[in-house]
Amino acid sequence: MRNWSLLYIVMAVLSVIVCIYAPFDPNWRLPPNVSTTGREVDHLFELIMGITGLTFVGVSIAFGIAAWKFTDAPGRKAKYMHGSQRLEIVWTVIPAGILVFIALYQMGTWTKIKFRSEAPRVQPIAEVSARQFQWLMVYPGPDGRLHTPDDLHTVNDLHFVKGKPALIYLKSQDVIHSFFLPQMRIKQDALPGMTIPVWFDSDTASTSEHPFELVCAELCGWGHYKMRSKVVVHETQAEFDEWVKQSLKEQNRDQLKSAKTTTAAVEHKGGESL
Amino acid sequence: MTSRLLLTPAVGVLLLLSGCGTIWDAPVGYSESPKLTGGELKGKTKLQKAVRAQLDKLYGPNPRDIRVFPGSGLFNGGTSLANLVKEGKKVREVKYEVVDSITGKKSIKTQHGGYSLYRRHCLHCHGVSGDGAGPTAPYLYPRPRDYRPGIFKFTSTGLNKPTRDDLRKTLLYGIAGTSMPAFDAMLSADEIDQVVEYVVFLSMRGETELGLIDIASTVDEKDAATELSDEVGLDTAKVVANKWVQASNLVVDPPIPRVIADEASVKRGRELYLGLNKTGGKVECVACHGPQAHGDGPSFVDKTVFDKVVFWEKSIDEAIDEIYEHMIFEHEGKVEAAKNPKDVPPLIAKKEFAAKVKKAWGESLDDWQNPLRPANLTLGRYKGGRRPIDLYWRIANGINGAKMPGHASAIKPEQIWDLVNFVIQLPYDPNMLENAPPPPAAAVAER
Repeated sequence: MRNWSLLYIVMAVLSVIVCIYAPFDPNWRLPPNVSTTGREVDHLFELIMGITGLTFVGVSIAFGIAAWKFTDAPGRKAKYMHGSQRLEIVWTVIPAGILVFIALYQMGTWTKIKFRSEAPRVQPIAEVSARQFQWLMVYPGPDGRLHTPDDLHTVNDLHFVKGKPALIYLKSQDVIHSFFLPQMRIKQDALPGMTIPVWFDSDTASTSEHPFELVCAELCGWGHYKMRSKVVVHETQAEFDEWVKQSLKEQNRDQLKSAKTTTAAVEHKGGESL
Repeated sequence: MTSRLLLTPAVGVLLLLSGCGTIWDAPVGYSESPKLTGGELKGKTKLQKAVRAQLDKLYGPNPRDIRVFPGSGLFNGGTSLANLVKEGKKVREVKYEVVDSITGKKSIKTQHGGYSLYRRHCLHCHGVSGDGAGPTAPYLYPRPRDYRPGIFKFTSTGLNKPTRDDLRKTLLYGIAGTSMPAFDAMLSADEIDQVVEYVVFLSMRGETELGLIDIASTVDEKDAATELSDEVGLDTAKVVANKWVQASNLVVDPPIPRVIADEASVKRGRELYLGLNKTGGKVECVACHGPQAHGDGPSFVDKTVFDKVVFWEKSIDEAIDEIYEHMIFEHEGKVEAAKNPKDVPPLIAKKEFAAKVKKAWGESLDDWQNPLRPANLTLGRYKGGRRPIDLYWRIANGINGAKMPGHASAIKPEQIWDLVNFVIQLPYDPNMLENAPPPPAAAVAER
């Protein structure tokens, strides 16, 4: 039954090929990073990927050789052995060392992303409440304060300004959700009953037509996949303020006249009639 | 040993070919209105058959074979409903030209089709036929909309059909406080339009079905062929289609702009809400929405009963039993505590109590026979939209199919604006209703 070992070897080789190929295909890898801390996250990701990748290759080779060489054969007898204490110590101490190294090495980045003492000293850009199955955003209106009558309310539409730290307060109205900004490498669980500050930034602007994404990263129910939101990064503060102003104008609409009819990004032309 | 090993995959392949295969290939069918086989038409198979035949001719026998009658008013003759068109024997894909509004670049796209989008995003709640009975529907409160009666809650046109913009708004931003999600970030503007058309198609189909059933209920079985002819079918469908076409002409614009939301206006709104205003017409918001606007006014079934039935899934009788048991317990406590037990008023008889609750329950159902609650106005959750114009529409024209009546004839537009201002201010200032007098018990809202 020596051929079984071939299966394991082929699978290991395929896994390695996929891992090496993935970074070169934009559809396979993470979307390009746009945030400051995201660079550090990517660096950690690559480092850990490298360490685990090398380990995987080493283990696979050893495993393949062992499976090939020591396969059962007619007349071969099993040999009883107690194991090697030296070998046990080596393969315990080396991984332990690697883990301690990773634990210490990533601490600075974790602190920057998660420790409240590191939160930027800025006014929150919005309060984001997750619920099954959407993100509800409340922006402080012109008075700069949340939960006043001039607040701006949006659904699945997160806006902030390029190159400036953005702070949000994250809440959940029902179950556990997870606030995931793939382009900014930010992920934070939203827990019912808690208000959690989350901060991030972006060095690249995005538009309403080609927005970045905010998705839910915690399976929260049957409509989990529907929890996707636009993330629009404005080029300047003035542009952001203008967006707030225009949105508030629409939110305060009291007459149809001067109504902004729904202008679609694309225009239906002709089509074909029956 | 070997034979058994071989058997396993063989059984698997057999299962795939026979059992499992049928799940994917099973015909997708529309559900029928219960009125078609029950009520007046019970047992009258010829009439039932005639109704079915007309529906199939007008709208197609199943969602995979969509037909559209001339004069339907659907976008481009209904081509956005699906992505295949049959002309004679030839079947071809629907293609359309897209012009990028920024770059002006033109491109040809193959249409997704409202049905394929609806099937992916909407069907699991709203059902194949738009009957609001998809597989995930039983888990939801409020229940997903059944489009077939052709009634839509949040319109800009009062009791008429909603405009395409009204439906588009519901799809883009969802309905706050319900399970209807927002699709703005998921679908393109073009895709949203296709889904809107498909929803209108399903609603037209359902309403035509009801129209044909109405006609069939009045005729004799032997006249089935003549009374439910193709002509009658098309006429019935056109009456429905015309209502949708007319909708855009029936949008209500508030006759005067919003009254400035100052303290005086909010105060006037509060008085109107509580029915304390001395001038102008009167409205009875408080009767349903309650003295503290928690949605617990006396004109609706008691909240304890409602919660037990809707959220604890008890039957109405079980709910009454439990509540009455608690009432006995409380009454006994009162008797024990009282100096003179005769001072404690006697407990209402159970029969009487049950009748009262059941009557209130019957009066608290919406047009789809689903339990209903007046909105808790202190939460700042506005199902039909939070813009002042949305709130004006709700107060002036009411909510179709629900118990919220229109007030445009009872009070003046400036009074409606006062109420709007009050409703917008209330979540930020719930103390406004502290110590509000309780409403008169007899008041009942009526459409």
